[in-house]
Amino acid sequence: MTVRPAVLAGDSIDCRLGGREILRAAYVDAVPGSITALVGRSGAGKTTLFNVLVGRRRPDRGQVRWDGARVPRPSLAGLARRGLFYHPDRPWLALHLSPADHFAMLPAGREWRAVAATLGITGWLERRVGSLSGGELRLTELAVGVALQPAAALLDEPFRGLEPRYRERVAEVLRLLADRGAAVLYADHDVESVRRTADRLFSIEQGVTRLVEGFRDRPLREWYHEWPS
Amino acid sequence: MRITWLRSRLFRSYVRVFILLWAVAKVAMVAGAIVFHAPPLAFHPVGEAIACAIELSVLVLSLRAAHEDVLLGNLGMRLSVALAPLVVLHFVLSGALSLLG
Repeated sequence: MTVRPAVLAGDSIDCRLGGREILRAAYVDAVPGSITALVGRSGAGKTTLFNVLVGRRRPDRGQVRWDGARVPRPSLAGLARRGLFYHPDRPWLALHLSPADHFAMLPAGREWRAVAATLGITGWLERRVGSLSGGELRLTELAVGVALQPAAALLDEPFRGLEPRYRERVAEVLRLLADRGAAVLYADHDVESVRRTADRLFSIEQGVTRLVEGFRDRPLREWYHEWPS
Repeated sequence: MRITWLRSRLFRSYVRVFILLWAVAKVAMVAGAIVFHAPPLAFHPVGEAIACAIELSVLVLSLRAAHEDVLLGNLGMRLSVALAPLVVLHFVLSGALSLLG
């Protein structure tokens, strides 16, 4: 498989929080048409790295790049206008509105009805978001993301707290995004799930990242639990 | 500013909350004016600007707590741009009230 240049990248990111070093020269990127996973234990620095990528946290050192060019002052709104979709690790839709209300806010030309049908969320389009189950809510959030037609999608723990049938559907949505050409980057701590879903994999431990080759075939202990020594 | 945003139910819900905040702030300002024997509904630009900043801060805190800043961000809107029409609303409401007084 030919790997295309990264759409979104975080390069040499150092970040300290409360005197503690959270990220150390961390690097991660996302390439078009591929699902890249960032896998690491809780507290390894995944969310902090994602917060840096979308400008919600300023790093001590390092840079965010979009299409190879440094983004001087990254912000979610600015990156979204370039084509980023960001899914944080907690609900972010307005609970008092319906999914249809959210789709109505999308920029003109976004064909959300076909997306809603593809993702199977048409049954609750008019319900209040606050009344949806966890799985329904996650699919709705992702449907908004797909309808935005992103060039890159950054998803923090998109499988968290879901029952198996919704986990499978979320994995299908990630693949759908990649098949439509988006550079998908998501964080997870479930390495077995990552093996089934991801095309590329970055491991993060104690704020240090590395690209793992052959993660599907190599024994887990070689690249995850025993690293770093 | 997109017309779609101004007509959205989310923006309209922010307008409703903001009007409530404006009313609370106005009651406090009127009470303060009465205490200091000043005209209660008079329009003081500096005072209005401070009140408006406080109202917006409360609204921003509440929508950040609900992570709706992520929703606006995904729509490509900065909070400052999305909420800018509420500044106009504050001064229109306060101006109208001072004329009535």
